[in-house]
Amino acid sequence: MTEETTPRPDGGASKVIREPKSRENGETPADGEQTADGSTDGKTTASEFRGEGLVIGYPSSEQPVVDRESISVSPGEVTALVGPNGSGKSTLLKGLADQLALESGVVRLDGADIHDMETKELARKLGLLSQENVAPDSITVETLVEHGRYPHRDFFDGLTDEDRTAIDRAIELAGVDHLRDREVGQLSGGQKQLVWIAMVLAQETDVLLLDEPTTFLDLHHQLEVMEIVRTLRDDSDMTVVVVLHDIQQAARHADRMVALKNGKIRARGTPEEVITEQLLAEVFEIDAAVERTPRGPRIEPLRPRHEADSDGET
Amino acid sequence: MASESATVTDSMSRRRRAFDWLSGSLWTVVVGSLLVIAGGTLVQVSNGAFSTTPIEAWQALVNPDVIFNLQSWQAFLLGGELPEMNRQSLIVWQMRFPRVVVAVLVGMNLAVSGAIFQAVTRNELASPFILGVSSGAGLMILLVLVVFSGATLVIPYVFGSVKLGISSLLPIIAALGGIGAFLLVYAIAWKNGTSPVRLVLAGVIVGTVFQSLQTGLFFFANDIGVVQSAIAWTTGSLTGVEWEEVRMALPWTIPVLVLSVISARQLNVLLLGERTASSLGMNVERMRFALSAVAVVAAAASIAVAGIVGFVGLIVPHMVRNIVGSDYRRLVIGCLFAGPALMVAADVGARLGLMVLAGSSEQMPVGIVTGLLGGPYFLYLMRKQDTMGEI
Repeated sequence: MTEETTPRPDGGASKVIREPKSRENGETPADGEQTADGSTDGKTTASEFRGEGLVIGYPSSEQPVVDRESISVSPGEVTALVGPNGSGKSTLLKGLADQLALESGVVRLDGADIHDMETKELARKLGLLSQENVAPDSITVETLVEHGRYPHRDFFDGLTDEDRTAIDRAIELAGVDHLRDREVGQLSGGQKQLVWIAMVLAQETDVLLLDEPTTFLDLHHQLEVMEIVRTLRDDSDMTVVVVLHDIQQAARHADRMVALKNGKIRARGTPEEVITEQLLAEVFEIDAAVERTPRGPRIEPLRPRHEADSDGET
Repeated sequence: MASESATVTDSMSRRRRAFDWLSGSLWTVVVGSLLVIAGGTLVQVSNGAFSTTPIEAWQALVNPDVIFNLQSWQAFLLGGELPEMNRQSLIVWQMRFPRVVVAVLVGMNLAVSGAIFQAVTRNELASPFILGVSSGAGLMILLVLVVFSGATLVIPYVFGSVKLGISSLLPIIAALGGIGAFLLVYAIAWKNGTSPVRLVLAGVIVGTVFQSLQTGLFFFANDIGVVQSAIAWTTGSLTGVEWEEVRMALPWTIPVLVLSVISARQLNVLLLGERTASSLGMNVERMRFALSAVAVVAAAASIAVAGIVGFVGLIVPHMVRNIVGSDYRRLVIGCLFAGPALMVAADVGARLGLMVLAGSSEQMPVGIVTGLLGGPYFLYLMRKQDTMGEI
């Protein structure tokens, strides 16, 4: 444990220099047209979101989990955080959402330090969906989605027409209209996840942070979730940061990727830039074959690497 | 034309949706509770040393000379001079009915307090007394009755001073003891913020120590009267309550009820877990403390007039949740009716149970009856439900 957290001298060795962003990261031909026109005006209205010199840790441990890292999220794009278990990707996300106190550094949203914002004001601009969520079984889907309007309502406020429109829109976007009156306890895991996504969508934020939204879901619901994420980017100019456990999924759906290991960012860039056999060996400790396809890099994991295999790396 | 009618129906359906949560099951709870309260009231006002038939008692209760007389309400609620009324009305209104009113207030306070604590700790098995309130109040009661029974307080006043025997301040001291214990629990649980589990553990710690001290103090009581009085206070009793107790509890009950109804949405969001609540922009620590404070004031108000009545705050939210679901907008309102219903019914048992069973005119503390009702109910729930605990 302690070995892993010591900063290594070549922490930035595998960093890929950022290149001008390109949206042609291998969409299927059918999607290609959409992205071509969606990307141009996206950069002007979408929110600027960045973290600078972030040191993030938990009160219970001495060593910070994320140590002196900066991340700049491209506005109006989907950025995926990937890395092995314990690499600090979820911690980084919580730090970016002001849900974990920063030991140092600053997170700025459109230039303003988010820690100085009033909590509800922040929640109107930045939404976070945690990895695991609990709701009482007996409440209806619609009631749960309604809670997404919390930051828009004062203590005494009822639901306004604007709130209702946002709720309807979120339910439609997440494709859970048919579940509207069902009780949350009766839903499958995949349906529940879509309902939770509808709840954060009802928040109507500019920036959306998702912590492993596809883990534990069946393939159909994984693709549903990623499709919603893509729609948000294309139609609503939303800036999305998503932690993904499945690196293949990240390569397929994200515009940009950030790879972490031991709380250090080891690579960032487009999926083509980040996904290399060398990076997979260093960060994920696997031997894999990477194949360039029109739908982005395809990874075929071959075998785990052991300490003996690696040259100098732990 | 067609689109016009479409928008009209749209806005109508929206308005209807806004009150969707007022569901049929909630009406069942409300109407059922009101029937129980009415029945209990009738039994309570018609039984006693001065015998009256239920019809006479009911006539005395709905006597328009009392109900529509401002002066009588002034006498009841503000403590003024009683107006002239017939003997039966006097007995019913002055001696028997206040006991029902106090039972209603205590039931409301305990049920709402329990409902709030169950949301704050996200635990179905939480009660109003989970954060040390009962043990703090109990310890203060024992201290006052056993150690400081002879002490008097001299309160400086504009013209001279008021001398008060400390025993007459017992209700207030008990309530303050409960609030003090709650603050102590919060201080112990605090470490970079609190969590439901830390709060409950701190409540257990404080409760255990205070309970031991309280039991220890019984050894120093050398008068059986003092011991009986202490037991009545620590198990909860409505024997001998009058309009004075109503006047004591009402000013606290009204704000508590208003706050609990309008905080229902905050409680609902808190039920989604700290992380979600916080990412929705709630200041979780501040909200949790504020809501706990409301719940503690409610519990303290009920302790001040009836002592520590167990189980009501635990069972009532549970029963209501089983019927109307976990939405606090419904749950809180359901508790406001079901709490009084249980309390009034239990007090009928406490007052008349021994008479029916053993022919004795003795009364039991109402806390014994609520415990006897609560235990089997939980046994039934445990058998029926697979999972219990988390909401």
